[in-house]
Amino acid sequence: MELKKEPKVTKQLWYLTIKNFKSMIRELSQLIWIFGYPLVFILLMRFAYGLETYNIFAPGIIILAPIVLISQLAGHFADEKESGTLQRLITTPVSRQTILLSGLFSQLIVAAIQIVIILLLSLLFGAHFDSNANIFLLFFIPFLVAFLSLGFGLLLASIVKTAGSAAGLAWFIILPLQFLGGILSVEPIIEFIPTSLASEAMSAVMLDGSIEFDLVGLNLIYIAIWSLILIIIGILLFQRKTAIL
Amino acid sequence: METAIETQNLKKYFGDIHAVDGIDLKIPKGSLFGVLGPNGAGKTTTIRMLSTILHPTSGDAKVLGFDITKEASEIKRRIGLCPQELVIYPRLTARENIHLIAQMHGMAKKDYKERTDDLLGKMNLLDRANSLVKGFSGGMKRRVNVLMAVVHEPELLFFDEPTAGLDPQSRRVVWDFIRDFQERECTIILTTHNMEEADDLSDELVIIDHGRIIAQGTPDELKGKLGEGDILEFKIKEIEQRDEIIKLAKTLDFVRWGKPVGKHRIVLNALDGLRRVSEIMDVVKVKMEDISVRKNTLEDVFIDLTGRRLRD
Repeated sequence: MELKKEPKVTKQLWYLTIKNFKSMIRELSQLIWIFGYPLVFILLMRFAYGLETYNIFAPGIIILAPIVLISQLAGHFADEKESGTLQRLITTPVSRQTILLSGLFSQLIVAAIQIVIILLLSLLFGAHFDSNANIFLLFFIPFLVAFLSLGFGLLLASIVKTAGSAAGLAWFIILPLQFLGGILSVEPIIEFIPTSLASEAMSAVMLDGSIEFDLVGLNLIYIAIWSLILIIIGILLFQRKTAIL
Repeated sequence: METAIETQNLKKYFGDIHAVDGIDLKIPKGSLFGVLGPNGAGKTTTIRMLSTILHPTSGDAKVLGFDITKEASEIKRRIGLCPQELVIYPRLTARENIHLIAQMHGMAKKDYKERTDDLLGKMNLLDRANSLVKGFSGGMKRRVNVLMAVVHEPELLFFDEPTAGLDPQSRRVVWDFIRDFQERECTIILTTHNMEEADDLSDELVIIDHGRIIAQGTPDELKGKLGEGDILEFKIKEIEQRDEIIKLAKTLDFVRWGKPVGKHRIVLNALDGLRRVSEIMDVVKVKMEDISVRKNTLEDVFIDLTGRRLRD
């Protein structure tokens, strides 16, 4: 029997990412969670509290959107472990690193779509965007928060055994990030946590059209460092968890 | 003859549990090799070690000439595994599930598309190829599970209880498929606790119990060891009379052996058993609740070796 060529890692990564993405968008409950959770806050703030209050909170709500990826990613890997598909993939010539990266990439694709839709919905419901607001930064700040969420998601994935427990335990990360970071309050309770930094930067860009380094650049560097540390720890823990024994 | 799998004193312990306790195997290339044993005998653990998803506690094993711990990546390129559980992506279509495995093995797009359609046709799934698997019946899902193991035309295939829970019709479809696959010079390792499956499909087999091999040979060789008599199975009410009945039955020269099975059953091997049931009844003088007569099966081999049924 003729042996096939060595499979290319980039192709494996692409196919796995597409597989993850398809699985995600074909599940209604996941779509509701990804888009519905931030949308509920938009509608609540806009219609229950009025346009003035909504304008104050809109940058925070946009930051809130990619945080749902924490439970998404942890749930994805827990599901792969629980259903045995992770092990089935491991019997093929694909590496665990490629499987892990494909999980991250598919979530980032979802995050990109989600952020664009939430930005458009915010605009549609009358949120204030300064005329000088930098469009790249409006997208990039929440996208950086998506990286941060993936870091937390990986940490969670290395702890949980089922998708159900991932969804439950994720709230112990999402709620502190949300409330302590001042996303839904006028002032952050803890200033140095990444959501507080992201919310501050987003407000500066969106409401004032600012690109000041102290308010935007520095905050983004801090968030990037937070994300990098979490992702590295998450990868190490996840690899230990899925090691062949 | 070339060897597909060779193990020496292969062991896997999970704490105090000796799941696999020193297995020596030599499986020739191109054969359909059965691994028969009750649930928990160590069949799946053995398969998981040989397919490189579990490291052995000790011992050596080579699969297609590659060491299972040091050369796992070489083995992965050449094997296919059909797990016991239904391991499929429910929100992908049947076609997408099969394509994914082919893609992981680096098959060319044209090749895997053609091959997938061919396989789906053989398993009577072509009309549902683009339906999401989550809407499939159990039997259809199991057929997709099998196809995912074979799409890349592996040199060595592990089928771990491939027909568990299938209706007789679907089971036949899978058996025919496995036979067809073996004809393409592929080595197949089939674990099962279904004696009919092992008997019907295997060229050679081992019987495993408590992590050890307790018998090895072709199905006919193993059944032949029990002698040429028929198997008579009696169901009795009084379990305390069990040993006495066996003792009395063995006094008849045509009764070759007898074993208690479970609490209420006795199995006897008797030459020309069907015609001589009444003679046995005259000797044992106990009222039987049920009597059946059949030819030797692999289950009887297992009963002879362990005193238990495969499904006990």
